[in-house]
Amino acid sequence: MTAHDVSADIEAVVEDTELPRRLKDEVYSTIEERGVGVDDADRIAKAVETRYLDTRVDPLDPVGTVSAQSIGEPGTQMTMNTFHYAGVAEIDVTQGLPRLIELVDARKTPDTPMMTVHLDEEYATDRERAHEVVWKIEATRILALGDISTNVADMLVEIDLNEDTLLERWPTVNDTDAIAEEIAETIESNLGVSTRQAGTLIEFGPEEPSYRDLLQLVEELREIVFKGIEEITRVVIRKEETDNGEEFVLYTEGSDFGEVLDIEGVDASRTTCNNIHEIYRELGVEAARETLINETMNTLEEQGLDDVNVRHLMLVADIMTNEGTIESIGRHGISGSKDSVLARAAFEVTVNHLLDAAIHGEVDELDGVTENVIVGKPIKLGTGDVNLRMGTTQD
Amino acid sequence: MVDVSQHDLVPDHSVVDEDDLEAVLTEYEIKKTDLPKIKRTDKALPDDAEVGDVVRIVRDSRTTDEAVVYRLVVE
Repeated sequence: MTAHDVSADIEAVVEDTELPRRLKDEVYSTIEERGVGVDDADRIAKAVETRYLDTRVDPLDPVGTVSAQSIGEPGTQMTMNTFHYAGVAEIDVTQGLPRLIELVDARKTPDTPMMTVHLDEEYATDRERAHEVVWKIEATRILALGDISTNVADMLVEIDLNEDTLLERWPTVNDTDAIAEEIAETIESNLGVSTRQAGTLIEFGPEEPSYRDLLQLVEELREIVFKGIEEITRVVIRKEETDNGEEFVLYTEGSDFGEVLDIEGVDASRTTCNNIHEIYRELGVEAARETLINETMNTLEEQGLDDVNVRHLMLVADIMTNEGTIESIGRHGISGSKDSVLARAAFEVTVNHLLDAAIHGEVDELDGVTENVIVGKPIKLGTGDVNLRMGTTQD
Repeated sequence: MVDVSQHDLVPDHSVVDEDDLEAVLTEYEIKKTDLPKIKRTDKALPDDAEVGDVVRIVRDSRTTDEAVVYRLVVE
């Protein structure tokens, strides 16, 4: 049952091997391309199978150590500090080593949170409609809407709203007065003052004439979010090629994954975020694991280190999500929760671990690698875990 | 409310029944508690999953077609 144009005999030969689906497909396409006969096909399939079985990890192979080395070595070639630009237009994204450290440390919030927001079909193809979503996401504060001036003589804050901006940011409302009214209401409920609104002019002042209160009001006014999501400071809209045509994709500076998924027009099946904790909260551990792998792989690729095998990154992500939550590698996470005192002491803050272990009377079973290296015994990996015994009978 | 299971990043989760679970545990010679865990509050869990259940997760694997893993539901 293959999509490739090969004879039934060849198919039987290839299907007979222990290869995984993906490799079988590759074998098929090579056979099809070269037009080889059944005998040759059999030999090819057997050779590929032998090679595949050879490259599988042996029992007792120290996969963790190999992963650590395989990520660590390319890590030394990474840039210590890169800001600016990450393939995505005009958006600052932390990259290189700082980003990698951030990921394995499982920081609560990344240095530069961002989201990639995909849109539902009707929004994704129409620039106007895509902009509707942009204004639902990007936080709109008063400075973007008009000019604020303080009238000290009458103790008033005066806002002169810009009509064009209003119409642009509220694309579904056509009446600037109605929008200004909405803004005035938001101000009233947030600052607890009464406002006077006429056309696009809004003015209000403190209850008692006080210069300090007046300035305080202006400060607070600047913080109010009139539209959009508070955390998101900027949205960039980009046209991207897809398999079937073009679509608009939004990139955001700042992230609030949960809020964005609920917005109308947002495709909740493809939208992603670079904060693994937000993904975990909204989509669960498995999605967080996927994101961890994607993000670490992208970080390495961005630095031209794409020859690191994904399997290493998958192992790291597996360990980090093993307990059903996201744990960091390191003293406060995986390495700090090891059973062995000696292994923990060998990692960081040696004295504290030894002291605590002594106080609590901990016992070290000497099961792991580090402990055995410390006490000078063979480690239980590879040939170290195999015991040979001489037979008692002679024959 | 957004349907979490529709997201590309979320693989298929399903509760494993007793017999299947027994087969899996004997195959790998492990106890149920040796499995990786998943929190009861996890968004991707099926509604009928309870603490102590094991869920089967069928991932779209990067290295083969699909990878089947199991997680034990914990508090």
